[in-house]
Amino acid sequence: MKQLLSIIRMFERTSLVVLLFAMTGLFAFNVLIRLWGGSAATSFGWIDKVVRTMNIFLVFLAAGLALELGKQVAVDSWRQRIAARTGLPLTRIIDATGLAFSLYMAWQSWNMAQFVFASGQVSATMGIAIGWIYVAPCIGFLLLALRYGCSLFGLIDRFNTASEAGQ
Amino acid sequence: QEVSLRIGHVESPHSTTQVLLERLSEKVGEKTGGAVSFQIYPQSQLGGQREMTEAVQFGALDATAGPVAFMGGFNPLASIMDIPFLYPGDPQQAQAVRDSGFADAFCDSFNLRGVTCIGLYPNGTKQFTSDRPISTLEEFSGQKFRVMESAVLVESFKPVGVTAVPIPFSELYTALQTGIVDGEENPLDTIFNMKFFEVQDYLTLSGHGAIENVILFNPAVWDRLSDDQRLAITSSFDEVIPEMIAHKTAAAETSLAAIREAGLTVTELTDDQRARFRDAMFPAARDAFLKQAGSEGQALFDAYQAAYDTVMN
Amino acid sequence: MILGIGIGFLALILLICGFEMLMVLGIPTLAVKAGLFANLPQIIVPQRMTSGINQSLLLAIPFFLFAAELMGQGQIAKRLTGLVRALVGHARGGIGYTTIGGAMGFGSVSGSAPATVAAMGKILYPELRRVKFTDRFSLGLIVSSAETALLIPPSITLIVYGWITGTSIAALFAAGLSVGAVLGLAFAVLTAIEARRTGVQGDPRASLSQIWQAFRDAGWALGMPVLILGGIYSGLFTPTEAAVMSVVYAILVEGFIYRSLDLRAFVAIAERSAIQNAVIFLLLALGTALSYFIAMAQIPNALINALAYFQVGPVVFLMVVNITFIIAGMFIDPNSIQLILVPALFPVAVSLGVDPVHFGMIVAVNIALGMVSPPFGLDLFVASSTLQKPVTEIIAGVWPFIIVNLIVLLLVTYVPGIATLVPDLLF
Ligand code: NA
Ligand code: NA
Repeated sequence: MKQLLSIIRMFERTSLVVLLFAMTGLFAFNVLIRLWGGSAATSFGWIDKVVRTMNIFLVFLAAGLALELGKQVAVDSWRQRIAARTGLPLTRIIDATGLAFSLYMAWQSWNMAQFVFASGQVSATMGIAIGWIYVAPCIGFLLLALRYGCSLFGLIDRFNTASEAGQ
Repeated sequence: QEVSLRIGHVESPHSTTQVLLERLSEKVGEKTGGAVSFQIYPQSQLGGQREMTEAVQFGALDATAGPVAFMGGFNPLASIMDIPFLYPGDPQQAQAVRDSGFADAFCDSFNLRGVTCIGLYPNGTKQFTSDRPISTLEEFSGQKFRVMESAVLVESFKPVGVTAVPIPFSELYTALQTGIVDGEENPLDTIFNMKFFEVQDYLTLSGHGAIENVILFNPAVWDRLSDDQRLAITSSFDEVIPEMIAHKTAAAETSLAAIREAGLTVTELTDDQRARFRDAMFPAARDAFLKQAGSEGQALFDAYQAAYDTVMN
Repeated sequence: MILGIGIGFLALILLICGFEMLMVLGIPTLAVKAGLFANLPQIIVPQRMTSGINQSLLLAIPFFLFAAELMGQGQIAKRLTGLVRALVGHARGGIGYTTIGGAMGFGSVSGSAPATVAAMGKILYPELRRVKFTDRFSLGLIVSSAETALLIPPSITLIVYGWITGTSIAALFAAGLSVGAVLGLAFAVLTAIEARRTGVQGDPRASLSQIWQAFRDAGWALGMPVLILGGIYSGLFTPTEAAVMSVVYAILVEGFIYRSLDLRAFVAIAERSAIQNAVIFLLLALGTALSYFIAMAQIPNALINALAYFQVGPVVFLMVVNITFIIAGMFIDPNSIQLILVPALFPVAVSLGVDPVHFGMIVAVNIALGMVSPPFGLDLFVASSTLQKPVTEIIAGVWPFIIVNLIVLLLVTYVPGIATLVPDLLF
């Protein structure tokens, strides 16, 4: 399991870096060609849409890693005190809720993607099936579910920010 | 049993579409004894046009009224509206073309794609503006025009020697200002509201491009209505169309007066000139449309041609 | 009504118990959906989430975040600060002014307040302590000054506001310039009082040749605000295009001219920026889904009718808006506040005749305040982790600034001219 996690992390990190640099390169190219490319600009109308789609993937591919690194925003000032006062295993409740929530959202995103693939909707400019943009949240919530699950079962320690992935 | 139908659109609360939908709701309420009403959500409150059309397909939204130009991803046949000089210049004649079977054939092309189209209505006519004179075909030659992202539009300009550049609407003002393109095509009220006239010197009243909207229903919602209720909606729609053509024409005239005041050189095409433009631009656009829309497109085009010939002869 | 209170209570419980904000927004959204719109297909939630963030305008955010990280890790932030220091460092408490001016200078190239806290904290905290500003004041000053970066363009907060309300980003940016300057000035007054009270001295006055040297050192860094603001206001770039060009410029300057970052650093910075981007966008996505149901339930209409019924005018309304934002800002992440409150309040403000740009500034100052107000202020945590100080100590230092902040908020609310001065001159 640990090995699987580190392979996934490797995949996430590589895609994030590649995506962000590619987005920068493509969009900057688009700006430059618009300014100085003359009528060549006609052929690059698709870049805006492609970069937006890449950003959607950038967001959802980073979601799980952000959770594992303790970067997802939460008000943790009272978490320990509430847990101590009520005797509730609060961090486990949060992990279990997060797991259920993420799995549910992944499932609905998958349903959405399937619906749009089946309806045959395509991007008018790129000719690509629109359904792909809904695959991103599906992957993203699965990656979140993975982290919530691993934390629930003690495979990662996301409440302690100096975790393995933070090194 | 009372039904309230949620209908969304992307235009402003003062737009012709909003006026149309409010009148429609009123009339339908009267005819059904209050059993059917519309709840209208303007200004993209429920999402952009692509998202609303999608939501109508999967049933999160009962209906949407939106520009055909934004529906190419759902229905490739929608690009027939990009063919310049599709309709005659006179609004009444244009409506006669829609009524002679073209609107029905066009709507049918949506019905195969997970939505029920209940009507087609005109929502403006595109005119040409430019930094350089554009009253004759010869003057057009060599200019650069901004168009919406559409192969049909790009092809239609080639025979007149114009380079068509697809630029997002939000960047059009800047593109005209900085001279990235010389000209553009939009309805008069858009030219006025978006202040394009500030960065253009010439306007030609060509009336060459149709901005057409459709009203799309979720099929299950439409089928759940009784026959009488459906008839109440479609007949009210037919009754409202003349009113909204008048509303749209009035808006265009107000804008035109303001544009003239701003000092643009305005020319109006004569019938002969219009015919020359049509002869130049129409065939290339038609061929581009037929090439991408296949046999289904051919059938739709034939229905159009038949309607056009009925009205013009 | 009861359902609404129940769902609000659920959100509060999730928040206080320390659930991630994505659940604090997401779970109540699903509850509203189940309670009020049960007959709508479930897939509307992922549809709104995904298409909500599929916008050209929002692409400015990853690029501005990336650029801010590059400049903070590299030399640009340091050199801009060095220039400010050469100009104002000699005054009594000059390092204090340098902190404010540095944050405003870095703010003019960075769209994010947390990035500014991180950059300024590392550079100026040791310096503030060296000239014997108290620990508390130094921490408070660093954290609060970064708020100006959120107001002075570019600003991710203003981009989000423009996206929600359809207000022109260029006009909002212009307004942010004067509002950010007023806030910086107010903090400078506080710093002057503190410096006099505790007897902090200034550094020796920089000679003309030293100032010239600082200018030359900052030359390439100064190109950045020229590129961003000049590009936007000359009409050369959209805000999104300016953002991507600022990344390219930062890569070129830091990588090839200053040679302060190597490939390994670029990769690490890209990864960190992508993660920050994901945190913001995930909330934007869930917020879009929530605001969809706010629109469906026609809550803004109900509010407008209620205000008309009680004959509430803009003065009282804006006070209610401020109090709501201040309370929400204590607990909730600022981006989420905008997403929840602005879709409901903006139509009401417009119906009462409040200028959209002016309203945007009121919202932005509130959000800036929310970044530093305890118990939950994002910048407090960023400062805590960059400076290795407990959050409680930072909170202790931030109080005087919060009071100054509230005064500025009142000014911006009731003197619309502060917000609309620059846009009126420009447009
Ligand atoms: Na800024
Ligand atoms: Na706060």
